[in-house]
Amino acid sequence: MKPEKAKLVVEGLKEAGVDFTAGVPDAQFIQVYKMLEEDPDIRYVGTANEAEAAGVGYGAWFGGKQPALMLATSGLLVATYHLARINILHEVPLLIVIPYRGDIGDPRWMGLYKKTTEPGLNAMDIPYRVVSRSSDIVRTIKECNESARAWLRCIAVILNEEALW
Amino acid sequence: MVNRLALIKELASIVPQEVLVVTSIGNNSYFWAELTDREATLFHSTLGMCTPAAFGLAMALPQRKVLALDSDGNLLLNLGVLGTIANENPTNLTVLVMDNGNYLGSHKKEPGMRTATGGKMRLQEVAKGCGIASSHLIQDVSTFREKVQTGLKTDGPHFICAQIEALDPERPPKTKHVLDPRENKYQFAKYIERTEGVQILGGGLGNFG
Repeated sequence: MKPEKAKLVVEGLKEAGVDFTAGVPDAQFIQVYKMLEEDPDIRYVGTANEAEAAGVGYGAWFGGKQPALMLATSGLLVATYHLARINILHEVPLLIVIPYRGDIGDPRWMGLYKKTTEPGLNAMDIPYRVVSRSSDIVRTIKECNESARAWLRCIAVILNEEALW
Repeated sequence: MVNRLALIKELASIVPQEVLVVTSIGNNSYFWAELTDREATLFHSTLGMCTPAAFGLAMALPQRKVLALDSDGNLLLNLGVLGTIANENPTNLTVLVMDNGNYLGSHKKEPGMRTATGGKMRLQEVAKGCGIASSHLIQDVSTFREKVQTGLKTDGPHFICAQIEALDPERPPKTKHVLDPRENKYQFAKYIERTEGVQILGGGLGNFG
């Protein structure tokens, strides 16, 4: 991932008003995690797994934070039970930012995530946008967080390789 | 051995109204709802979510005391949160686990199946090993009272494992409408907005607001 693309993701979170993030580092997104850990305006909490991150973000929202979860496509699967509960039963808004492994064009053996990421979000009734151009990263993160907070729903931003590399 | 009802009754008598309490699903939520009349409770945290939610709340509001009323089976699903808590060190957080060593026993007249703590696992040792120095096992009401009160008065994080009977032989009478998760969300969020001066619930009016 190019550092300037990681900066766009962090810029998007700031433009959106996100001030609290949680997740587990992912190789595809590691520069973003490192920037968040050092950023004075956004608190980053590294958790032991992504379901824990969802629970932490849920609690932080009740404390007045604007939380975002930074989840790998594999981590989305780990977080599924808690996200389904948070989105469908509690209706609490969490922005979910996902670097898209397994989208068409990914040369690695990650096709599994094409079958699980978007269908998984649909099954949990979590709306999402797929971003393919880096010029759309900031605006899309901002719009998705605005809608999440207004609708009291989780919303995901999925950033594919074209946008990130 | 002490039972859940005796400890939750005691808890209801010693936890100040302004302490934010996050309860796990099942009898921790139902007993606490029946025995208290307070807005500062976030109920129904499902398996694995109670302590993480309380921790997130404690991070967001470091000036408020936060108490997780968790259970062994619930905590075990996300046990790694104890390491996260130790490293982030929220001094305003107390994690209280009702450890009956049992899955489903609280709803039946006979034990369900044992959890790891019903075997060899000792949660207070796990919490210590994770780096939470203030970690305690309690087996009676008076020690329970002392540890909870100390936890709510001093800097933590604190971890209290209350070893309780596998079953809940006594239950409080059902007298109240227990809030469903969405009702509780609005009540709790509005309470936090009012007492902390923060905005949680958006108006949804967009440019017209």
